[in-house]
Amino acid sequence: MKSAWVIFRRELGSFFVSPLAYVVLTAWLVWNGVVFWVLTEFYARNAVASGAASPLSAFFGGSSLFFIPILVFVPILTMRLVAGEKQAGTIEPLMTAPVSEAAIIVGKYCAALVMWSALWLPTVIYAYIMSQHGSVDWGAVRSSYFGILMLGAYFMAVGLLMSTVAPNQIIAAVLAFVALGVLFTVGIGEFVFDGAVREVCSYVSMWGHMQSFAKGVVDTRHLVFDLSVTALAVGLSIAVLQSRRHL
Amino acid sequence: MIEVQGLSRRYGSRLAVDDVSFRVEPGQIVGFLGPNGAGKTTTLRMVTGYLAPTSGEIRIDGIDALTNSMQARDRLGYMPEGVPLYKEMRVVEYLRHRGALKNVTDVSEAVDRALDLAGVADAKRRIIAQLSKGYRQRVGLAEALLADPPILILDEPTSGLDPNQVRHFRDLIRNFAGQKTVLLSTHILSEVEAVCDRVIIIREGKKVADLVPADSETSLEDVFAELTAAESTEVVS
Repeated sequence: MKSAWVIFRRELGSFFVSPLAYVVLTAWLVWNGVVFWVLTEFYARNAVASGAASPLSAFFGGSSLFFIPILVFVPILTMRLVAGEKQAGTIEPLMTAPVSEAAIIVGKYCAALVMWSALWLPTVIYAYIMSQHGSVDWGAVRSSYFGILMLGAYFMAVGLLMSTVAPNQIIAAVLAFVALGVLFTVGIGEFVFDGAVREVCSYVSMWGHMQSFAKGVVDTRHLVFDLSVTALAVGLSIAVLQSRRHL
Repeated sequence: MIEVQGLSRRYGSRLAVDDVSFRVEPGQIVGFLGPNGAGKTTTLRMVTGYLAPTSGEIRIDGIDALTNSMQARDRLGYMPEGVPLYKEMRVVEYLRHRGALKNVTDVSEAVDRALDLAGVADAKRRIIAQLSKGYRQRVGLAEALLADPPILILDEPTSGLDPNQVRHFRDLIRNFAGQKTVLLSTHILSEVEAVCDRVIIIREGKKVADLVPADSETSLEDVFAELTAAESTEVVS
């Protein structure tokens, strides 16, 4: 696992020296800043609506404004992971060094998780701002961030898998966008269908996932789903990388 | 020592390497010669473990490279064709990263030694993206030498170097004679004559010659032309 650590360090290092990191972070914060402002305005003007929800719980997954940027930003974060190495040819020295495919994938995956956390870290300030002007349910904030971490865990794993499958970064980004878009859309079926189909859709639903976490409810069904998808996608990434030698 | 037995590789329906066998004795410098598209890079990629062979056996210092890939890779220094590097890193950062990846015990000492050997010590603080091709080539060589491996595999190591750099490189390789086992691919005949103890010529994936240039009565150029002329200039896919 020492080599996974070496891979992890390089991956993060190269991300945070690239202009991409700062373009992504800035764009992300601008978007979420605007969303947060619109939501607080909305709740400030609509006393009725604010009866049940709060701007914070709406911010954490109560609106489609939460999901749209994620579906765009996740593929941008994950596209370089393996596809970038293929494009630059650096995959060849990487795979001829005495490192296992598992160490490569685990190192890169952990780096992606840190990138995801770096996106969200600055938003803690929104909760702080709210606490200065009203009461904040810190338990719900904690569970919201935990939900975001779990959601990120499987998003990053899906993005990584697409980056491992794709021959270049553009295709990796498009595949990740499509995969997450499909998962998102299937989840919306929760509000459309009835019976068994509804059950399946709600199991996949990112929306339901974040809504329950934003309320402070940690639902193990969602956790099981997140962790199984993560394990599956990371495992498949390792297998795809191993099979590359035979292509 | 490198032992290759009955090595074949298919890309889909195309047979890129066809039943190639050879041996490189310890301390020997062997040139791997062939026209473009003959299967040189594919063969070297199989020896280094980057590609799995369709059939055949590879032994690195007696270690089966297919079943004990990690131990085999530990003994190899490899400079791939085109020398892919992480361009955003500084030379010294890159080498430290690779040193850590290759389980080198004293990384900073190994990096300094490799920088000196490859002649890039003066550029160690520079960002790789800003280096000239010749310098990048030498960074690749420094990387291959980093873990002081007993075996070096170099794929077209002098392409893109200026004449002085080529000379420096040849002197360096010649110094390895008797100490390191070197397998280098090239299509520059004078290079083979200058540095190699033995030459293996392949054509359309098949080994067509295995000879000692010094023993040959005709010039290497004539031998090469005779063995590879049939397919004129191009044989790709």
